[in-house]
Amino acid sequence: MVAQLQPTAQQIIEVRHLKKQFGSQIVFEDLNLDVFEGEVLGIVGQSGGGKSVLLRCLNGLERYSGGSISFYGQDIAHMSGRDLRHVEARSGLLFQDGALFSALTVLQNIQVPMREHISLPKNIMDELAYLKLALVGLPADAAHKFPSELSGGMRKRAGLARALALDPKIVFLDEPTAGLDPIGANEFDMLIRDLQRTLGLTVFMVTHDLDSIFAICDRVAVLADRHIVRTGAPHELAKNPQHPWIEAYFCGNRGRAAQNSE
Amino acid sequence: MSLAENGSFSMFGKRQAEVTKPALDWSKAEHGFLLKIFGDWQVRHVRRIAKEIKKLRCGTGKAGNNQLLIDMSGINSLDTAGAMLILDMKEYLTAKGFVADVINAREADKILFELISRHPREKISTEKKQSMLLNLVRDLGETVVSVGRDIIQITAMIGEVTTCILGLIIRPWRFRFTSLVHHMEHAGLKAVSIISLICFLIGAVIMQQSIEQLRAYSAEYFSIDMLGVLALREVGVLLTSIMIAGRSGAAFTAEIGSMKMREEVDAMRALGISPVETLIVPRILALVIALPLLTFIGNMMCLAGGAMIAYQMMNIDLQSFVERLNDGVDIRHFYVGMIKTPFVAVIIGIVGTLEGMRVRGSAESLGVHVRASVVKAIFLVIILDAMFAMALTSMGI
Repeated sequence: MVAQLQPTAQQIIEVRHLKKQFGSQIVFEDLNLDVFEGEVLGIVGQSGGGKSVLLRCLNGLERYSGGSISFYGQDIAHMSGRDLRHVEARSGLLFQDGALFSALTVLQNIQVPMREHISLPKNIMDELAYLKLALVGLPADAAHKFPSELSGGMRKRAGLARALALDPKIVFLDEPTAGLDPIGANEFDMLIRDLQRTLGLTVFMVTHDLDSIFAICDRVAVLADRHIVRTGAPHELAKNPQHPWIEAYFCGNRGRAAQNSE
Repeated sequence: MSLAENGSFSMFGKRQAEVTKPALDWSKAEHGFLLKIFGDWQVRHVRRIAKEIKKLRCGTGKAGNNQLLIDMSGINSLDTAGAMLILDMKEYLTAKGFVADVINAREADKILFELISRHPREKISTEKKQSMLLNLVRDLGETVVSVGRDIIQITAMIGEVTTCILGLIIRPWRFRFTSLVHHMEHAGLKAVSIISLICFLIGAVIMQQSIEQLRAYSAEYFSIDMLGVLALREVGVLLTSIMIAGRSGAAFTAEIGSMKMREEVDAMRALGISPVETLIVPRILALVIALPLLTFIGNMMCLAGGAMIAYQMMNIDLQSFVERLNDGVDIRHFYVGMIKTPFVAVIIGIVGTLEGMRVRGSAESLGVHVRASVVKAIFLVIILDAMFAMALTSMGI
């Protein structure tokens, strides 16, 4: 199930000694993490342990207090505005509840990044948006619905279609399966897996869901005690936890069940 | 995964040199035609790609069952947009009669083609052509229906609130006293300064204008009577209630609406707490108490503004101003103004809370209802005022 990483796989993101604090409260410090091209990387950790903050730092939504983040070897702190826009256009972000613009239809939502970053002829933009809609498994008649008329699972799919609008190299997913029923969560996992393989995506996923970790993650990075304590394949971590939190997480009842079902 | 590597170096400006422009090359081959595809077929270059394809469409002549090979060996990188356009082009050429085949495609690109041809790209059009007249009639009908619904719902809300208040008289310990005081502070006390200011200014303006006009008849002394009647009967009440409709009515809608959006109101119902009792009644009662007080302050400030101008333009001191007011303006004008205030307060409160309860899931819906709340409240306040004016005047009060 776990895809072999190519030995030559290139680093897309390199995080070094990253530090973030709110006032006197340190969220994480000395955090090191690499994201390789073409992998599905899962980030797990305690609730309130800074996983989402890390995701927001990587996307430039939150300022970090120290350390560095590099995309393709370039430190984002030293990038020009133009390069940063390139990076933004080349990465997609799926928020927890989709974060679709409620005043726009699903189709218009998907077209927002296309309008913002590049100019496309209207007919091609429409065709492309319908294609993305089909790729994430939404029916064509959902195109003209407003986000409030969709179910939670459909909103997530629409959010993913918007994240994929510009064919990003990397997508960031914030708790993609939270709030979905097991069937829906499993379908969403498989969708991510399929798209990752066919489109050659790199997926950076913050998650709690043990099932999706074992189903689709190539590697897992564990954020505990304010830094990344271990990274490795999920089975490896489960077999040899080496850290009390990892042990509690993978070797609890739910962790065992998820491994066995695999 | 090899696909991901393509073009990844083109991410930054200084590596831009490695990006090659997408191009098409049409040539004759042994058994038909050869179409070579070059460059980066990516979403960022779609405009150029579309131009190339357009050129090609003009360039290809009659097909006549000719074989066409689409050679992908020159392609640098391909994403879903590029692949989609290549498939579209192939479809178009097939429709023209060519027997089109794709050759020399890389493995990753084949997967992409397969993925895209698997998913339909059907469009659903929402634009229905309708005549303008029909639209006009439909809009008119919808408006009439929604006005009818408003009347019914406002009446129902008045009934519901009355029932609730009667229930609270029997069981007064259930009344949310803290909430009442809170809303009185926000809707009443905190509005004192702004209402004082606008009433003072408007009072001054009325006085100034009436002195100017009445001076022609040497009757400027009567402008004090005029200001007294106008301010106490109409201006004080109207200014105050329009200000409160914009300020507190909108706040009520937004507060209740955002609770409604996050299902907090449903949660209250599920916990057996009546939203009418906890959210609506304290707000309406707070307005019923606060608005008369604010109106009184507004009235006084209107007169104060007038007194200031009277002193400045006619050199009438405060004592003479008050004496003239006492002689010329009957106290009933003050009562006429004040009697309206509780009714106005109920209208603003009912409309504000009702619109809040109508908010549905989206942020846009909240905006729509806040706007509707202010517009309807001000409209109804003015209607009510006109009705009072006509009724009381015809009764000779």
